[in-house]
Amino acid sequence: MPSVITSPTSKTGISKLTNCRIAGGDALIWKDIWVSSITGKILQSQTAFYDELITPDEVIDLGGRIVSPGFIDCQLNGAFGFNFSTLLDDMPQYGKQLQDVNKKLVETGVTSYLPTVTSQTGQLYQAVLPYLGPSGASRLASAGSESLGAHVEGPFISPTKHGIHDVSVLHNPSTYSDLEHVYGKSNINPGSPGSGPIPVKMITLAPELSQAVPSVIIPQLRSSGIVVSIGHSEATYEQASSAVSAGASMITHLFNAMRPLHHRNPGIFGVLGSAGRAERPYFGVIADGIHLHPTTVKIAWNAHPGGFILVTDAMHTMGLEDGRYEWRNGGGKDWIIKTGGEVVLEATGGIAGSAVSLIECVNNFLEWSGASVPEALKAVTGTPAAMLGLKGVKGCLDAGADADLVVLRDEVVDGGVVRLGVDEVWKFGKKVYEKGV
Amino acid sequence: MRLIIKDNGDVASAYAANYIIERIKKLSPTQQRPFVLGLPTGSSPLGVYRILVEKYKAGEISFENVVTFNMDEYVDIPRDHEGSYHSFMWKHFFSHVNIHPANVNILDGNATDLEAECVAYEAKIKAAGGIDLFLAGIGEDGHIAFNEPGSSLASRTRVKTLAYDTIVANSRFFGNDFDLVPKMALTVGVQTVLDAREVVVIALGPRKALAVQRCVEQGVNHMWTLSALQLHPRSMIICDEDATLELQVRTAKYYKDIERVAQSQGFEQVFPSKILTGFPPQSIQASIVVDETQSPSVSSPQSTTSYLLRASPATEYSTISRSPSPDFTPDRMGSRIGDPAFTRRLTPAPERQELQDRSKTLLPALALATSVNSVNA
Repeated sequence: MPSVITSPTSKTGISKLTNCRIAGGDALIWKDIWVSSITGKILQSQTAFYDELITPDEVIDLGGRIVSPGFIDCQLNGAFGFNFSTLLDDMPQYGKQLQDVNKKLVETGVTSYLPTVTSQTGQLYQAVLPYLGPSGASRLASAGSESLGAHVEGPFISPTKHGIHDVSVLHNPSTYSDLEHVYGKSNINPGSPGSGPIPVKMITLAPELSQAVPSVIIPQLRSSGIVVSIGHSEATYEQASSAVSAGASMITHLFNAMRPLHHRNPGIFGVLGSAGRAERPYFGVIADGIHLHPTTVKIAWNAHPGGFILVTDAMHTMGLEDGRYEWRNGGGKDWIIKTGGEVVLEATGGIAGSAVSLIECVNNFLEWSGASVPEALKAVTGTPAAMLGLKGVKGCLDAGADADLVVLRDEVVDGGVVRLGVDEVWKFGKKVYEKGV
Repeated sequence: MRLIIKDNGDVASAYAANYIIERIKKLSPTQQRPFVLGLPTGSSPLGVYRILVEKYKAGEISFENVVTFNMDEYVDIPRDHEGSYHSFMWKHFFSHVNIHPANVNILDGNATDLEAECVAYEAKIKAAGGIDLFLAGIGEDGHIAFNEPGSSLASRTRVKTLAYDTIVANSRFFGNDFDLVPKMALTVGVQTVLDAREVVVIALGPRKALAVQRCVEQGVNHMWTLSALQLHPRSMIICDEDATLELQVRTAKYYKDIERVAQSQGFEQVFPSKILTGFPPQSIQASIVVDETQSPSVSSPQSTTSYLLRASPATEYSTISRSPSPDFTPDRMGSRIGDPAFTRRLTPAPERQELQDRSKTLLPALALATSVNSVNA
């Protein structure tokens, strides 16, 4: 059983996790991990030992469990009753509620994420985006899950692939300034040096909306360090391909809100096969068992495993009881019904995001695809980190990376399928959650 | 020298590991009087490290008051390179046990002054009170540490050029790329190892068989530097069956019988306590004197053999009383045979032989006749 051996030496802030299998690469390997709660990073233990002559304050025996990098959710609309697309009369209250979400979210194993705002009015974007920007600079473990920047899903999307987004707030961008006008200049343009990161990290748009999207808008966003994701789109294979060539590097919830694969025009899905000379993009997949058929998930993974990212697309009903909940949608208010992991719009019965946690998606994926545990974990760690340009910082267990960890227990259920469960969560080198404690 | 032959590598490694653990426990080391352990790298000791780690995790042994000295390190290889011996030790041993980094000593192959580094290393060993137990491996050519064939048996810590065979053998740790293997190393000398109060060698596999045979059955020879262990009062080679393939059946059987009898009698070699516990360590500050003008290997060419043969058994085994050997009195074999026919000298008298030699140059035939006569005389 796990035990703690405390060494009598002076405090170094270092914890050594031992007797564990780590899932940083392609296989689970038995290896110790040293983390520092002072720097919040994973240590190069050998250097610490020989150069600084330091030993860990505590040695934690994990009893053979799996250590994974902390999970990254690239599409989360809200959780635990708080919807990121919310305008409050008292906006500072928004910040407080966000902090509560972060503390609860981290307990699900999601140590960093992109708070996602659906198609809304410019007024709402400009009010909420300043709260949703990257929050890791303080490196406070107690703050819980960390925003890596906001994901704005719309409003420059196709009116015919809007899903449940309010059509009345959608726009056709003809110039880059249209984006500035909706999101607010300071939310998408880098400020002067030292002014901190820009709040928006990723924008989902439909590339076919205007000629300006692939020629001007995508390159401009790329140069600001914003990830452009194709989604809610009628794009043909050719249009998707040229968007990828222009710099789009992601696809938002593949298969959902886009044309299905046609054998003579494979549509957006086709760029997973080839995107011309450009590198094939990353793509988000909602493996909640409702959005996609299990086999569809497996096909997507097989088509391009290196780009496969599991996302929840969870609504604020994630973590709440089943029931009927209010939802602010663009210009007005709607009601959504949560039943288990399923969320539908009351008015139309259309799927309205999910209510699953990321670990459930990982378990579903393990069951459906036959992928190995490290491969499945990569879809919520290493791959999203690479997509966000955070390789070596997030999503891996290499020395120098942020010490965001999830300790997972694994059990083999019927049919030899492995199921994972979150036992412990570490943020910036400190344990912030332990199951049952 | 003891030779312990075990059925396979696992049993041999377990024996070595348990032996070390027992030694550490027996000393019950403290901060003031730590157990000083010499350590090797290579594939043979891997099993020993694995078991030491297991025993540590099982709470059977603590390395809190153990000071270690490693045998060697490559020159000019980044310290944290995966092929370095720093990395080897970290990966296989230090990262798993409670040893304090301040108690770990490994030669620095990147030191600006390699010579001074070697001198300081010898001084550090001395300051730690000398090595209680040196665990060692053995090369296919019989080398101990990087003391390649032809190394002086009186050598001390120094820079060495690696033998071609060793570079080829070690290329397996460098992706089989010959060019990536460092060509030089810092290593403790044969004498440094012999200075340890106890030396335990682990030799596994058929490739080590010839080296074991040379070092056990043949004489002390600088071409097989491990053979110098024959001069050590308390040394032991632990090997598996494969490593005995070149030994005479008689030799292997002999050593096995000894161990069997010893075991059945509950007999462990008894050494005076002074050997086991050593001498209190000197103050470190006082003793590290790096004298750059004097190379240690040159300045201390004290004869190994005379030192060992004289000093160790004669003075340190004071608990065992033996009657001194009688003085040598030359006598004739003939005098020991009762028959009076043999009492006279059968060999030619020296003075006659001299005469004979002189006449030989003049007249060989006559000389022959004279010699025949002289026998009859």
